[in-house]
Amino acid sequence: LLFIAPMLVLFLVFVILPLFTALGLSFFSWRFLNTPTWVGLDNFEHILRDRALPRSIVVTGLFVAMGVLPTILIGFILSVLINVKLRGIALMRMLYFVPIVVSVSVNAVLWRFIYDTRRGPLGAIGRQLGLDLPSVLDTTQWALPGLVVIMIWAGLPLVIIFYLAALQRISEDLYAAASLDGAGPWRMMWSITWPNVATTTWLLLVLEIVFFSAGSLDFARATTDGGPLDATTSLGLYAFKTAFERRDVGYSSVLSLVQMVVIVAVAGLLLFVARVRRR
Amino acid sequence: MTTRRKHDLGRYVAILAVGLLMVFPLAYLIAGSLMTVAELAQYPPAIAPADPQWSNFTQALEVLDPRTILNSFIFVIGVIVVQLALSLPAGFALARIPFRFTVLITALFVFPILVPGTLTLIPTYVVTFVLGLVGTYPGLILPVAAGASLGVLLFRQSFANLPDGLIDAARVDGASWLQTFTRIALPLIRPAIAAYSVVTFLAAWNLYIWPAVVAPGEETQPLSVALLKLVANDYTFIPPTVAFAGAVISVIPVLIVFIVFQKWFTKGLIGTGLE
Repeated sequence: LLFIAPMLVLFLVFVILPLFTALGLSFFSWRFLNTPTWVGLDNFEHILRDRALPRSIVVTGLFVAMGVLPTILIGFILSVLINVKLRGIALMRMLYFVPIVVSVSVNAVLWRFIYDTRRGPLGAIGRQLGLDLPSVLDTTQWALPGLVVIMIWAGLPLVIIFYLAALQRISEDLYAAASLDGAGPWRMMWSITWPNVATTTWLLLVLEIVFFSAGSLDFARATTDGGPLDATTSLGLYAFKTAFERRDVGYSSVLSLVQMVVIVAVAGLLLFVARVRRR
Repeated sequence: MTTRRKHDLGRYVAILAVGLLMVFPLAYLIAGSLMTVAELAQYPPAIAPADPQWSNFTQALEVLDPRTILNSFIFVIGVIVVQLALSLPAGFALARIPFRFTVLITALFVFPILVPGTLTLIPTYVVTFVLGLVGTYPGLILPVAAGASLGVLLFRQSFANLPDGLIDAARVDGASWLQTFTRIALPLIRPAIAAYSVVTFLAAWNLYIWPAVVAPGEETQPLSVALLKLVANDYTFIPPTVAFAGAVISVIPVLIVFIVFQKWFTKGLIGTGLE
């Protein structure tokens, strides 16, 4: 038991305790430096009057809706593409894994320039074509898709790594049988490969939903800080700003709980669908 | 056979082309970090800098404060050391030492994997704040290290996969659990340890949002946070080439670790037993 005690203590203090803290603090008004005062359900009541909240839930939903499926589909197609035995393939596969080393903040530095049409390459190309493009991250309608593009690029390596592992478990015989039956490569991909990696797809679906809903905090904070005009303020970033900029810990705890409810609901729905489909 | 060859060649070209597209943003960043501002902005775009501008890097370091680079290393190494020191014995105990609540404790460690980091960020900060650890290395390192669920589970799996006879033999010979653990079991799962360390290195080095809140001052701030000073400041103009150089400085260590240990890295990700 001594073996496990240290890990358990650290784990309880910094992982389990915070969850209860969130629950507890949601009944208090606290601004970090004063003593917390009991306010009962006031914070929860505030939810109903908060017009920024539904908006931030929609933004989070948009991040997930625009990001998850493209990441999984592109990842799948790319991993099929590089799942061949050719000379030097290991080296070339590495090109596909590279985005994983690029951190959120490096991405912020890089893409803020790429998307800035006054100085960056997009603007230069646009001017050649006679277009006067606005800066992507400065427009309310393009900032969010712009962020999603960055996140898809950053999220692809993980998807490819998982799919590659799954692809290598599929038996060669299946393909041999299919080609005897006259199936073309396109047909084989969707009739054999895709169904055979279904378990991986479900796993990735959950992972990517978590990635896009969690990433909508770090990527948005680092790159646009929620702007312009809150167009990229996701639920996570809204809770973050409530805690660290408005210093309203109680209400931000409530927002964290709302997030928890939304995520549990989505995850539950997914598990339900997965189970029904398996029958 | 010739059609087959041609087919392979086409595949080759496609793989290479898409692969280059995947690395393009990073290559652009690295090339841009060595260019002059005019080169970076010109059209048609310059592919390689005509005359590498190493001064971009010295300028970036002036803004970044080399201290933050050191902080990044302290942070990452701290996380790896604490995680290994705690999760290895925990994994061993869960896999090998029979005692009550094994199942319950294992379940406890699985649970946080399902909770996205955004959710726990603020409450974890509150706990760290109450403990008075904000702005200190322990405050930066310990909460991240505590999220070692994957490590515990990975190592539990590795220890469980060792042949039973080996452990039993050691026990019969009168070795204590500690001796069995350090002399017999640990050396055998070295590959798992290596794989996990590489994954943790990458993940911790690139962590942004936690250090951003818990390390407000430059004394403990890692590179990932300090980097944004190069773009976020509207009052002083910092050339994009210098910002790129700063970003490159922060990419280089992970890029090296990644290239050298790539095989272990993919194994570590897959091997966590998520599937």
